[in-house]
Amino acid sequence: MGMVLLAALTLALAVFALTQRRLLWGVIGVGAHSLALAGVYLFLAAPDVALTQAAVGFGLVTFIYLLALRRTGKLTVAAVETPHLLHQENERVAGLEWEILSRFGNQLHRDVEVMWVPRAEIPALLRAGDADIGAGALFPREGEALLLSRPILPTRIVTVRCGPGPVGAVAGDRGQDFLPPGSTLYEDHAALAHALRRGEVGGAVADLLHVRQWVLSGEVRPRETTDVEEAAFRLAVAPTEEDVLRALDAFLAELEETGELAQLVRRYMG
Amino acid sequence: MKALAAVALVGLMVLLALGVSGVFPRPAVPSGEDIAAEWGAKNVVAAIILGVRLWDTLFEILVYAMTMVGVKLGLRLLRWERPLPPVAETPLLRRSADLLLGPIVVFALYVAVSGHLGPGGGFPAGAILGTALLLLALAKGVERLSAEIHEPTLEWAEYGAIAAVLAVAGALLLLGRRGSAYLIAANLLIALEVGIGAWVVLHRFASSRGEV
Amino acid sequence: MEGLAAVALAIALVGVGFWTLIVRRNLIWKLLGLNVGASGAILFLVALAHRPGARPPIVGLGPGPSADPLPHALVLTAIVIDFATLALALVYVIFLTEHRHTQDVRRLERDEERGWPQP
Repeated sequence: MGMVLLAALTLALAVFALTQRRLLWGVIGVGAHSLALAGVYLFLAAPDVALTQAAVGFGLVTFIYLLALRRTGKLTVAAVETPHLLHQENERVAGLEWEILSRFGNQLHRDVEVMWVPRAEIPALLRAGDADIGAGALFPREGEALLLSRPILPTRIVTVRCGPGPVGAVAGDRGQDFLPPGSTLYEDHAALAHALRRGEVGGAVADLLHVRQWVLSGEVRPRETTDVEEAAFRLAVAPTEEDVLRALDAFLAELEETGELAQLVRRYMG
Repeated sequence: MKALAAVALVGLMVLLALGVSGVFPRPAVPSGEDIAAEWGAKNVVAAIILGVRLWDTLFEILVYAMTMVGVKLGLRLLRWERPLPPVAETPLLRRSADLLLGPIVVFALYVAVSGHLGPGGGFPAGAILGTALLLLALAKGVERLSAEIHEPTLEWAEYGAIAAVLAVAGALLLLGRRGSAYLIAANLLIALEVGIGAWVVLHRFASSRGEV
Repeated sequence: MEGLAAVALAIALVGVGFWTLIVRRNLIWKLLGLNVGASGAILFLVALAHRPGARPPIVGLGPGPSADPLPHALVLTAIVIDFATLALALVYVIFLTEHRHTQDVRRLERDEERGWPQP
């Protein structure tokens, strides 16, 4: 009977560990599962195996996962790749927001790690605690329940018309709010520009930064551009990390006061 | 994709269930008492690991040592941009490490030495030893400890432990000696090898900012 | 009774572990799933060694059948090797994260299709 209960506990711990969202909880759960499994080995008349499983599975394996994670010393940024703001250049990350984030990480003594994701996934990642900061041409939308920093750079949301047909946008972007329901949505801006060029959609709602990029690279030839909304690029912070938001806002205010922000904007935006 | 994965999983589970159903016959094995008496042990598992299946164990140790070398080389290839800020020292952790270290090491030695009489043996003893050293590293700070321990010595100790295990095995095979003294020596050497290997890996992970 | 419960637990652990290994997109989650699956496989071997009412395979613990010591001996080294290979796998994951800035397999595959950024 005790054996059956212990087996059930072992399985429950394994399922608990593997259904978590946070890696830290997963690692701790797998450690506890190893310890319960050692008890199961005792019931199976295998004391040698039980001792080894307890020492290795609970001690060494948990330690090595925790050392590899080191989540406390790290700031995880879930980002959309955006030219000028945050993008991968060869093997390095570069851009205005990266400059700000890496300086901010330096100030907090935390390393900054970027995780590239589609725009639509950022709110879920922040809410689940898988990322601390969301970045990359981020605009607030209703119902996302994210903490937002001070504006970094003012911009505009515009509608670009290239031909007849429906208007598209990037899934999860602010532009989606201005489309009628059931419109075509794309995973990222590159896919949207591609669709625009091939004529799958006749127009797009996007921010001025991306539109300028499309026009300059000759990818898209707009026939007509109309303003939709004044907006600003911001950084999003996970709802549980209010102290990070306060520190970030203070840091941005300081950059603005000393004029460094203006310098950075000139350097990266031309 | 998910449907395919589900089908594969069900197939695997059916295969495992078939394994226990008794369809496949079990090979005949000499009785545990005979093996234990032959090798001068009370723990049959120890007699099998260090006696009957010695080659298996030796090559497992070799795999372990090679993996450790792989980890060391792999982490050495990584370039880190910025050194980690120093970790704040906590008196509580330090005191408890001072208190616990001795008993843990003694327990590890006990587990290794009594491995042929009761539950235990070289592998769990080595794991306990590695955990104890890691506790020490956490309490004292990895940088300071590695400065005290002098890492090349440590690496030589690890390779030395492998060489010693091979030497004992070779002597056993050449002389045909079987007895509890051999089992104790082999268990101690395996504990040393596994413990030092585990500590080298954990130390590498901790000091080279192994963040993921 | 005990052996049956252990076998059921082992099969369930292998299922849960491999499910995580296949479905999760993060490499570290995959490793955790592999870990649980491997522990299920090890438990399966130990459960095979068990007989009803068996005592541990140590001489002088009294009468009655003893558990089969051979699977125990096999499994003992496997646990330690598991730890070693896990360490090596984590080093590779650290490598990948350091150079590609992601642990998401879907992202890695997409980058591979589009061509890695050339230095």
